[in-house]
Amino acid sequence: MKTFEEKWTAWVDGELSGKELAEFEASLPDKPAAEAERTAVKKLGALLRRELVAPALSNEEFFSHQLRERIARENAEQMGRFGAAETARGWDWRPVRRMLWAGSASIAIFLALAVFVMRDKNPAGQSQYLTQILNARVDPVVSPNATISMFQSKDQRVTVLWTEGLQSLPADYAAK
Amino acid sequence: MARLFALFIACFTLGVAGATKAGGAETVWSGLVIAENVSQPERVPAELMRMEKTLKQLFGYNQFRVIGQSQKTLKTGQEDWLAASKFFALHVDARGESESGYVLNLKLYKEKELLLETDTKLSKRSPLVIKGPQVGGGQLLLVLVVE
Repeated sequence: MKTFEEKWTAWVDGELSGKELAEFEASLPDKPAAEAERTAVKKLGALLRRELVAPALSNEEFFSHQLRERIARENAEQMGRFGAAETARGWDWRPVRRMLWAGSASIAIFLALAVFVMRDKNPAGQSQYLTQILNARVDPVVSPNATISMFQSKDQRVTVLWTEGLQSLPADYAAK
Repeated sequence: MARLFALFIACFTLGVAGATKAGGAETVWSGLVIAENVSQPERVPAELMRMEKTLKQLFGYNQFRVIGQSQKTLKTGQEDWLAASKFFALHVDARGESESGYVLNLKLYKEKELLLETDTKLSKRSPLVIKGPQVGGGQLLLVLVVE
């Protein structure tokens, strides 16, 4: 079921016919006013169709040429920003330079860390690898004349705690 | 930038890993040894073989006989143990492990009498020899080795 507005639009466009046209025109309250309005709408449509047509390019070749030149110019600028000069000479050395810098920096950091760690691990030099005697004592009552000394035999890395004057014992004490 | 960071991390890891030594349980051999001069010397015990020349040079004896020994595997570095002969006893009290060895408290007893006490940092690469009392014609030695 068409609404009045749909029937009105169809009537203005001349798309109603037969019984539908007769019924619609009979339903109009003021047919002459409606006719006048339809004529005005048609005139307006004709005017719009005539005036709103896209202007045709008078020089298509020139426009295309301008467009291509602009694209080329913009591309050249972009290439310049990312090393067009080196590329034009045949080889872009910058990635290699960056890798060399990164490699050198990494080696330097590695050496610094290695020196730092090794220095910390071995603060006392070679003595760290030899047994150290921190202190020693003998009972002064049992062995009043005892003396203690210590030294290291570097060839076999043997550390010796040397006592003198301890109470001598009979051979029986050598038993297992 | 990401590659540089990855390189840095790799180098750092290598540096630390290269400088770090893996640790593990180790065994300490402790022995009471009688050094003496005899006409037919016995073979030096296996534990003393690597220092036989040094022992002979230092003490001037040709035979080294083990009269008491103990072999202790250290797991925590806090263990204690006893190496004993009929009359002597060496009490070893481990008081911690360091990068290079163990901190030990040693006490030599003659029966129940304390003859000698010492604190030492026993290196994993360096044996300890303690000259004890004269026993008959020989010498009592205390030897500790990280095996």
